[in-house]
Amino acid sequence: MDAFLQGLTLLFSWKVILVIMASAIYGLFVGAMPGLTATMAAALLIPFTFFMDPVPALVSIVTMAAMAIFAGDIPAALVRIPGTPSSAAYTQDSFELTKQGKAELVLGADVVFSAIGGLMGAVILMTSAPLLAEVALKFTSFEYFWLAAMGLSATVMVSSGSQVKGALSVVLGLFLSTIGIDITLGLPRFTFGSIELLNGVDFIPAMIGLFGVSEVIRNVMEGELAFPIAKVKTEKIFSGMWRLFRRYKVNVLRSGLIGTFIGILPGAGADIAAWVAYAASKRFSKEPEKYGHGSIEAIVDSGTANNSCLAGDWVPALVFGIPGDSITAIVIGVLFMKGLRPGPMIFETQPDIIYAVYLSFILANLLMIPFGYLAIKSSSQMLRVPRNMLMPGILMFCIVGSFAINNTVFDVGIMLVTGVIGFFLEANGFPVAPVVLGLVLGPIVEKNFMMSMIKTDWDVTQFFTRPVSAILCIITLFIWFFPLLAVLLEKTKNRNNR
Amino acid sequence: MKKNDVLAGLVFIALGIFIFTQTVSYPSPEKGHPGPGLFPNLLAILFIIFGGVLILKARKPANLSEGNPEIPAAPRRIFNAFFVLAIIVIFLAVVNIVGFLITSAVLCFVLMKRLGVTILRSAIASVVITLFINLMFSKLLRVPLPPGILSW
Repeated sequence: MDAFLQGLTLLFSWKVILVIMASAIYGLFVGAMPGLTATMAAALLIPFTFFMDPVPALVSIVTMAAMAIFAGDIPAALVRIPGTPSSAAYTQDSFELTKQGKAELVLGADVVFSAIGGLMGAVILMTSAPLLAEVALKFTSFEYFWLAAMGLSATVMVSSGSQVKGALSVVLGLFLSTIGIDITLGLPRFTFGSIELLNGVDFIPAMIGLFGVSEVIRNVMEGELAFPIAKVKTEKIFSGMWRLFRRYKVNVLRSGLIGTFIGILPGAGADIAAWVAYAASKRFSKEPEKYGHGSIEAIVDSGTANNSCLAGDWVPALVFGIPGDSITAIVIGVLFMKGLRPGPMIFETQPDIIYAVYLSFILANLLMIPFGYLAIKSSSQMLRVPRNMLMPGILMFCIVGSFAINNTVFDVGIMLVTGVIGFFLEANGFPVAPVVLGLVLGPIVEKNFMMSMIKTDWDVTQFFTRPVSAILCIITLFIWFFPLLAVLLEKTKNRNNR
Repeated sequence: MKKNDVLAGLVFIALGIFIFTQTVSYPSPEKGHPGPGLFPNLLAILFIIFGGVLILKARKPANLSEGNPEIPAAPRRIFNAFFVLAIIVIFLAVVNIVGFLITSAVLCFVLMKRLGVTILRSAIASVVITLFINLMFSKLLRVPLPPGILSW
């Protein structure tokens, strides 16, 4: 209770409130701008969080992400372009309904069910994280090795498109993490005599490059999007919401759970949550034929799921230090910068910070209703901001952000290189998020493996014979061989059908 | 057959081989026990395996559901990408000499102009953006940005 009150006082200082407001507006704008993603927004936030106290830093990321994932729904409804990938699943349905003159209903459902989903996720985060932390206290380097390996495997499994490409992205991230002084002998690896590289590839410029610069390059290559912005009435967006909620309360519960669960899975983010909830929604719906042609049920379900996922993503990040998605990968980076080690101990040593995170989730999702309303009201102006003026501005922010952390142009160089890598990966259908997870988890995998080995004098069997280790190992192996199993099942099914 | 995938696969395989050439000289802590080279070598093997799989898969007829369709961009647009990279490199080279304010304003203006914004709007926007960034970083966050020649 003390920690709760402390968290509360941490949150309600005028400085933090100001940060919340600014992050909310920032998140809404970035989310509503097609071509700018929530992850990019988070990457550009890090330089700012670097110079803040831990609580405002974390709170700003929470608020920004919640607002951005909701705001991605706005251009989906108005111009048929998802503002962030998380709205892609139901963009078609949103736009069809707008064409049928139901834009008020869609936008209202977007904001209300985003908030409900976010609150559900927050409740699950608050109840499950402390319980898991108790379990995690008993984990040793063996278990952490498997957890990280499991996280990496799950990332590959769920990577959109080709899993081979997802795997290559992960390995590339892991490789980047090996650059610098090695952890067992202190040997410089892949530094090519560069003194700056001894500390490794700095996480911040790398993130800004992968998610910021690469997006700028992609955007300037696409040129100006010429989209007609649908003129819609937004007077009574909240009317009919209660009826909608009563009608779809089971859906909301299901999607909230799906979203949070996918969030808890390491590596799977809000975009995947929305797709899975959409598929589940269609399967259980009484009107599956409407999906893709303007189903409000689909919007309720996926809109709930993608926002509930955000809180779920924080569970593995806080409890194990294993990111749930690319935004929480950034969060882990921020925690380390602040000298906080994510893991079960943080629940004991800094409970006030944990409570501040919980509360900020609740606050952000409550604030979503008024802020979201204002964002919808001003959406047509927001969408008219010309990209050819926005992109140079973002580029300058990327450069200065990378530069500011260590005050060195070398970091801008890292940003440049990772930006080019990110661009080429994305242009060829390689997912970028796994690179970041590899970069964050690489040291965890290697350190815990080497520690375990040196501790037991290279007795590899310990990885399989310790009870918790064995369970985690089986899950990891299951993830590895799942694609193979799926193919085999499919084949036997086909044979039986014949 | 997807050419880009074959190329990407070859690049990753080359990276894997390169890692091996680097790790050969790494010492090991005790006799027979792996050391700093273990993890990179493992990654090298994975690069080569997955790179190979990517090439094998790319040789099959294109699967429509996979990845983005390859749309060639117009040369003008490709040039834009190089333009962005050049802007970053120039920033790197001159910021410590010329200072942040001038570097940022000029580069921002040049890039906007390149992207088809009118001279007047580019000029106003680049100055506003530069002053905004300067305010955020050097005043709000108290991060000193290079003053350069304006530091008299």
